[in-house]
Amino acid sequence: MNDLTATVFIVDDDPAVLKALARLMRSAGLKAAKFASPQEFLDCHDRNAPGCLVLDVAMPHLNGLEVQQTLTAQGSELPIIFLTGHGDIPMSVQALKQGAVDFLTKPVHDSDLIKAIHDAIEKNRLARQARAKLTELQQRLMTLTPREREVLGHVVSGKKNRQIADDLGLAEKTIKVHRAHLMVKLKAQSLAELVKLAERLEVISSPPD
Amino acid sequence: MSWITIAWSMMASAILTLALLHLFIWFHQTRQWAHLFFSIAAFAVAVTSGFEFLIMRAVTIEQMASLLRWGQVPLFVIWVAIVCFVRFHFNAGRLWLAWTTGGLRALALILSFTTGQNLFFNKVTSLKHVAIFGGETISIPQGVLNPCYVLGPLSMLALVVFVVDTAVTLWRRRDFTGRAIFLCSCITFFLLVMVGHGFLVNAGLINSPYLVSLSFMPTIIAMSYELSYDVLRSAQLARRLQASEAELRISEQRMSLAISAAELGLWEWDIVHDVIWSTDKGLSLYGIAKTEQLGFNQFLDSLYAEDRDPVRKSIDKSLASGGNYESEYRVMLPDGNIRWLAARGHVEFNKDELPLRMYGVSIDITRRKQTELDMQKQCNELAHLSRVAMLGELSGSLAHELNQPLAAILSNAQAALRFLEQDTAELDEVRDILNDIVDQDKRASEVIQRLRLLLKKDETQQRQPLDLNEVVQEVLKLMRSDFANRNIVVKIGLASDLPPVIGDRVQLQQVLLNLIMNGCEAADSVKHRQLQINTLWNGNAVQVSVGDQGRGIALDDMERIFEPFFTTKSQGMGLGLSICRTIINAHNGQLLARNNADCGATFYFTLPAYPEECT
Repeated sequence: MNDLTATVFIVDDDPAVLKALARLMRSAGLKAAKFASPQEFLDCHDRNAPGCLVLDVAMPHLNGLEVQQTLTAQGSELPIIFLTGHGDIPMSVQALKQGAVDFLTKPVHDSDLIKAIHDAIEKNRLARQARAKLTELQQRLMTLTPREREVLGHVVSGKKNRQIADDLGLAEKTIKVHRAHLMVKLKAQSLAELVKLAERLEVISSPPD
Repeated sequence: MSWITIAWSMMASAILTLALLHLFIWFHQTRQWAHLFFSIAAFAVAVTSGFEFLIMRAVTIEQMASLLRWGQVPLFVIWVAIVCFVRFHFNAGRLWLAWTTGGLRALALILSFTTGQNLFFNKVTSLKHVAIFGGETISIPQGVLNPCYVLGPLSMLALVVFVVDTAVTLWRRRDFTGRAIFLCSCITFFLLVMVGHGFLVNAGLINSPYLVSLSFMPTIIAMSYELSYDVLRSAQLARRLQASEAELRISEQRMSLAISAAELGLWEWDIVHDVIWSTDKGLSLYGIAKTEQLGFNQFLDSLYAEDRDPVRKSIDKSLASGGNYESEYRVMLPDGNIRWLAARGHVEFNKDELPLRMYGVSIDITRRKQTELDMQKQCNELAHLSRVAMLGELSGSLAHELNQPLAAILSNAQAALRFLEQDTAELDEVRDILNDIVDQDKRASEVIQRLRLLLKKDETQQRQPLDLNEVVQEVLKLMRSDFANRNIVVKIGLASDLPPVIGDRVQLQQVLLNLIMNGCEAADSVKHRQLQINTLWNGNAVQVSVGDQGRGIALDDMERIFEPFFTTKSQGMGLGLSICRTIINAHNGQLLARNNADCGATFYFTLPAYPEECT
């Protein structure tokens, strides 16, 4: 999971443009992969691969927006930079709404494109990082016993140990033990951190009385 | 005065009048030999009547003998003249019979001077004075008959045979029949009468004056009648000729009026001697001075340089194929102006089928050509406007076509700059990049070239042999991104054996552009966004078709879609297809539409193939 493995996927039906863009990537020290048609790209794309997608809008059979929709449906997080021959405002709005990181017109200036690519790769990296973190947290959450999860819900909703003990019909001491265990399992140093983690993991807090 | 004097002199003068009359005719028409021989015969008859008169009035025996002897001379002349008359007038009669007749009479003449006192008598012994009707007394010779006398009747018989033979010949020939038989029987009868009567007088059996001239008189009159029939007929002919000449003159006047009203120039080319004759109008049409001796090369020189070769070929063709000649060309007038002429002609051949002469007319068609050119110009302007409008609709697609190579060039160039900035410059890579830049630059300029061609305002059509497959591909290149934008799939089937056609590249591109754009619009409205573009060669014509999967054409609209200002689109002038049809028609082709069996419509045009042998 580092920047060096990030790949710029380029899809353009014009071989000359495709070749030139790939070259530009290489000259900027980026790794590029060329695809002459959207279908070719979709067929061999690994959605976990890091990087970004540079996509021509106007292509026969399957246009750029349709590719974007397909990728979204597949749950891909690959940031997309659209390239278009003629600035088409409705199309760019739609593309951006659907989550495109940028919408550039051809001929595109190298610095604009490379900056957009770097931004996209960074965005992809961060997104991947965030996802990795979340996955770890989820794994931590998985280690809790059902009773500990129950207690966690009550703790993040801001209840005192006594109230929790009353609610669950347990001894206050027992609650304290559960609480200590789950703090360790979730690697939370403080109550504030625990609340933040629970938020990220979308732990449903138990309803207040 | 005695009646004999009156009768004989009247007879002589009547015959002389006839003789003079026909002599006069002969003087004016010296080829009419019959008139000459008639007048000779008539003179001789008149002279004979003189002899007869003197014989009747002879006083001494010597005088009588001498008159009888010399009287043979005019008789000989009569014989020869009648024979010649018959020969020349009827153009018939056996030659040997003619010679025999003449020869016998000549012999009679010679014997008249060499034997006895004359042909009739060895010796005239006395003069018998006899009284005849009217109290007149005439002298009649008496004496010993000359045995040579028989030559007279012989020569008469020969003449009769000659004349009868001639009549038979003519009857067989069905020539002059009635008249010839009448004349011949007349001659025959009166000859017999004369000779018979002469013999009776000479033999002293009857007392009568010689009636030679009297006997010849009806013959002379019959001959004169025969001749005057000809004179009459020629007079009639002359009158008729005059009438027809007058008619001819009127018809000539009408003709020349028509020719001058139509401003036609008549000409005739004597191919064998290479001489061209033309009316003044014809010469002035070609701007040629009247004094020039005109041949084929001078004619060619008068033409506009570019038209000389086609005209020469066209003339060669009509000379070789034996047909009519028709051509339109320009002539360069001496003042530098150009005049359009149309010429039509016909070639005449001899029996060996070699061209003898060619004749025809030329007419000034400058005004018509000017109108045609004006119309052509307007059509071209309209076509140009429609083309510009279409390219306007395609502007997005065209911009894309230009943008792609520009985008490639920019990215390539910037990549190259980046490579060069690096410490280890990849020169091979940079070289590749520069090559690609050159290629893409060419690509961009080709697009511009195509656009320039389509946007150019050409007033005249530029006809040249074209490969329609190429035209189709050029148009598809222009429209490629339009198809992508509209999400239309184009299927192309190009025939590999397509012969060339003759045409204007830009205008044919325009037609295809128009048909394909219409097809795109039809496809827009339906799910199956597909166009099928085919070219094919059916042995006669080259066909290009553009088929869509749209809604098709309503049957009522099938022909109307080609009418100007008819449109089914919400935004359309309704000129596109009408202009397309005008263009295709001007290329001697056809533009048609039909609904497909399944769905959608196909527009197709056919153009005649350009014959290989002409290339």
